[in-house]
Amino acid sequence: MTLKLFTLLLQAAIATVGISLVSIAIGFAIAILLSAAALSRKPIYFLPARLFISFFRGVPLLVQLLLIYTLLPVIGINVPSIVAAIVGLSLCTAAYQAENLRGGFESVPIGLIEAAEVTGLNPRQTFFRIRVPIAMRLTFPALVNEAIMILKSSSLVSVVGIIELTKMAQDLASSTYLPIPIFASAALIYLVINSVVSLVGRFAERSLGGASA
Amino acid sequence: MLKRYFLKAALGAALFAGAAISAPMAAHAADDALARIKAAGVMKVGTETAFAPFDFIDAGDHVGLNVDFFAELGKDLGVKIEWVALPWDGVFPALEAGKFDFVAGPATITKARLERFKMTAPIAEATVAILKKAGDKTITKPEDIAGKAVGSGKATAQFAQLQEYSKTLPKPVEAREYVSFNDAYADLAAGRIVAVANSLPNIAYVAKQRNGAFEVVTPAFGKKSYFGFIGKKDEDSKTLVDYVNSEVIKMKKDGRLGKMQEKWFGTTFDTPDEVKEPAF
Repeated sequence: MTLKLFTLLLQAAIATVGISLVSIAIGFAIAILLSAAALSRKPIYFLPARLFISFFRGVPLLVQLLLIYTLLPVIGINVPSIVAAIVGLSLCTAAYQAENLRGGFESVPIGLIEAAEVTGLNPRQTFFRIRVPIAMRLTFPALVNEAIMILKSSSLVSVVGIIELTKMAQDLASSTYLPIPIFASAALIYLVINSVVSLVGRFAERSLGGASA
Repeated sequence: MLKRYFLKAALGAALFAGAAISAPMAAHAADDALARIKAAGVMKVGTETAFAPFDFIDAGDHVGLNVDFFAELGKDLGVKIEWVALPWDGVFPALEAGKFDFVAGPATITKARLERFKMTAPIAEATVAILKKAGDKTITKPEDIAGKAVGSGKATAQFAQLQEYSKTLPKPVEAREYVSFNDAYADLAAGRIVAVANSLPNIAYVAKQRNGAFEVVTPAFGKKSYFGFIGKKDEDSKTLVDYVNSEVIKMKKDGRLGKMQEKWFGTTFDTPDEVKEPAF
């Protein structure tokens, strides 16, 4: 196990972190819209949202990635590997995050919403200034959890041609015949990344003012 | 209430997606696959990077006969080569989905593949043989694998050959499929299987690399076969396939291919210019 091999693993880890963070962010934006739609009483909003959530939670991420990579070109959408990877991870995490957020939205006390309306906030202001911040605060630990899940799931994107940490470790292990130090290093790198994510999460949680509504 | 904002956002997202899709569509305007590659200045080649010595990662660098061959081809054609590395069972679906222009692989030229794809002139021999652990006295000839656990690569012609050979033995072998041949070699080293069935150039290279650990069992048991590169069969890819094919012949004639074989296999192969009737 030389410094060169470790450097290669670290470079691949940058791909892992980059793809995961971008996907978590995009997924979060989609999740807010999805959870809002899922909470709607009108079928035209909640039906597509429920369908989306059940598909992306019900189909293995590996299959989703392969579908996005090889099925979409059939209908004329040919995306490069990196886009397929980010789209796959984003849509999958969006479904999970939407369910977390829905739980959060449903836990916002109705009295607070009524109070907001009484003080003259319009529905949009009530949504973005009252409901979203409270729901976020309530679901923040679950969001950090999801971020860690996606960081680990990103090891699957090598099936669409992305060289990330796991794939690099496999390639190096098979060419150097040093599987144990290489996979141990990869495990250590994942552990460090996820520890940082969970530390940042805990810090952010504290500055958000805890989980009290 | 908030639904109106949801609708607006959804509309925006749809527009954005539409714009992202239409960009690559515009590139399809040129004549055919070869013309588009020339216009773009880039040829995309799909491959699996776990097939030493044709295609593998050597301490982080993508190397092998494929890399050398397509580097020469890129020079001749005046384009850059862009590699897309996938697991082998994902390579052909991705070629059909248009993710890249050509497949390096290489793949054994078989009847089934010729029905679906176009294959170039052979670049090396592909006849299948057995790799065993060095000093394993229980296997001295191919038929000794009868009734034992033998590994090969998933979705490979080598695996098909192993299964076919197994039927001719007194006791069928316990054939195990691996995502890549590298995983099979690892299990051979770990003693979970007693042999790996793969093409001679590959296992000869592995035996040499891991000096002392593995041995090739001769003679080869498979039918005589060859490795070629793979392109699409449609009209759009015709000139491209013809071009890559002419490059194989050209490099064979001017000695560049021979040098590559010498470099990666330590020997040269006498290959035909065309395989019309594969053995299987």
